[in-house]
Amino acid sequence: MTGPAPARHRLHPLSPLLHSAKSLAVIVAAISWQGYARLGTGRWLAVVAGLLVMAVVGSVVSWYTTGYRIVGRELRIDEGVLWRRSRAIPLERLQSVEVRRPALAQLAGLAELRLEVAGGAKTEAPLAYLALAEAHRLRDDLLTHTGGGAAAAAPPVPAPPLYVVRDRDLVVAQLLTPELWAAPVAATFVVYQAVSRPDWSLIALASTATALLAVIAQPVRRTLRHWRFQLGRGPAGLSVAHGLVDHRQQIVPTDRVQSVRVVWPLLWRGHGWLRLHLDVAGYAPGEGGAETAVDTLLPVGTNDVARYLLPVVLPGARIDLTAARVPPPRAAWLAPLARPYLAVEVGDTVVAVGGGVLTRRLTLVSRPRIQSVRVTAGPVQRLLGLATVHVDTAAGSVAAVHRDEAEAWWLAAVLSTPRPAPPAAPAQPPGGRPGAPPA
Amino acid sequence: MAAVQLVRLWAPTLVALAALSLLALLGPSALEAAAGTAAVVLLIAAGYRTAVTFRAVRAWGYAERDRDLLVRHGLLVRRLSIVPYGRIQFVDVTAGPLERAFDLATVTLHTASAASDARIPGLEPAEARRLRDRLAALGADRAAGL
Repeated sequence: MTGPAPARHRLHPLSPLLHSAKSLAVIVAAISWQGYARLGTGRWLAVVAGLLVMAVVGSVVSWYTTGYRIVGRELRIDEGVLWRRSRAIPLERLQSVEVRRPALAQLAGLAELRLEVAGGAKTEAPLAYLALAEAHRLRDDLLTHTGGGAAAAAPPVPAPPLYVVRDRDLVVAQLLTPELWAAPVAATFVVYQAVSRPDWSLIALASTATALLAVIAQPVRRTLRHWRFQLGRGPAGLSVAHGLVDHRQQIVPTDRVQSVRVVWPLLWRGHGWLRLHLDVAGYAPGEGGAETAVDTLLPVGTNDVARYLLPVVLPGARIDLTAARVPPPRAAWLAPLARPYLAVEVGDTVVAVGGGVLTRRLTLVSRPRIQSVRVTAGPVQRLLGLATVHVDTAAGSVAAVHRDEAEAWWLAAVLSTPRPAPPAAPAQPPGGRPGAPPA
Repeated sequence: MAAVQLVRLWAPTLVALAALSLLALLGPSALEAAAGTAAVVLLIAAGYRTAVTFRAVRAWGYAERDRDLLVRHGLLVRRLSIVPYGRIQFVDVTAGPLERAFDLATVTLHTASAASDARIPGLEPAEARRLRDRLAALGADRAAGL
């Protein structure tokens, strides 16, 4: 490396203000109603103002001492006042970069950048906040460095979106979730209790109502989170953008995709809808919940949409299994209802494992990403001549249960032969649009 | 290796048995019967486990094949792990105090998947080191990675 190190960039000057706004909410919540009752309005205002000033000063100092720059093949972030910290994030290990715009940031035209690093046990602390254009530019810089390709000289031309989910479909789909159907049942129970037992105090009623709200909150939160769900092909991978109050846009390098899960919930059968989930290395399933994972590839869609999207994310993946094998009839002793649905199909680059009776599932695992294969057989399985094959990837494990023993050994042998990674797909489609998405 | 497993089994069992019998002898009469029954059950379970231990230890096996390593273990639930050499990220050789007392070591393979559980306990240290060196070298040769 010759020449001076690149200059450190500061975060946007409005960042301390936004951080202080968050601190204000925390301060008010911490003092709580009881504090307010005890202090009286005047003193409460004084306390809040005092704490807020301290928070602002702290944020400004922290902003002043924080800087980032790309040096060689690393992103270096320097921060800290008393204890100087310098984090070096190797760009090769970057799994995905997310541009996130919480409500306040949207108003101010800012965004924060969240990085996911392979092998990291937790998310790296986000770079908050940057101007939107700068955030996009930095994200593209980081991702093109990971790809090893030359950084784009001109700003990337925004590609037409691959698919946009209709918000109406999203709302209807969330209305068709078990939580919302259980809510009226619970509500009638509560009303019945309140009416029939007059000694039921207000607090009991309030707490039950809160519990009810918490249950309904899940579909509502999912709807807000997946609002205006848009998929696109970015220069460094698949771009997933969604969210109403908290807008998020993530770019997932497609060679990090370990497996794709297709779920057909029972209540959506009438519309023929399904969900697609992505498993990307670096996220433990369920870890961080809604916060970090680029978990959902498609919140709601038809089979045709899935057929159109799957080859983009996982080449060779199909939801229609043509050469699937099911467990032998004697497996009915162990899985009477599920047996016809426990299909396994081994393709060239993808192995498909199906399951589920009421909620049908299909897990498509990329064969080059298989880390190890395990075969287990419990006592009853051995009696019946069956075995279970587990396929392990960096994002979790999939089990093909109750296979015929000979088939299980064949599966294990075939799947444990490492496949070379497929050649990297071209960054932009060679010409024009990749094909019209279904209406 | 069986010795290690037996010590691991009997040390806490004896402690529990001692505690239970103390309770039975000195405690209130209500607890006597319960403590006594628990002690008997514990004794029977430990005895059964002892008998099984020898067979269980013999059931741990590993095979170094051309492209991958096979590890099998388990009696009631038979398990087999297949780990291709190219997927091995790193290899641990560990020996706790009990294992060291019997001059044994355990080799653990790690891949990018948290679910890979290939572990070979009860190896002689020289064999463990040889295995580790060979696996590490083969893993580096055939790295396909993420």
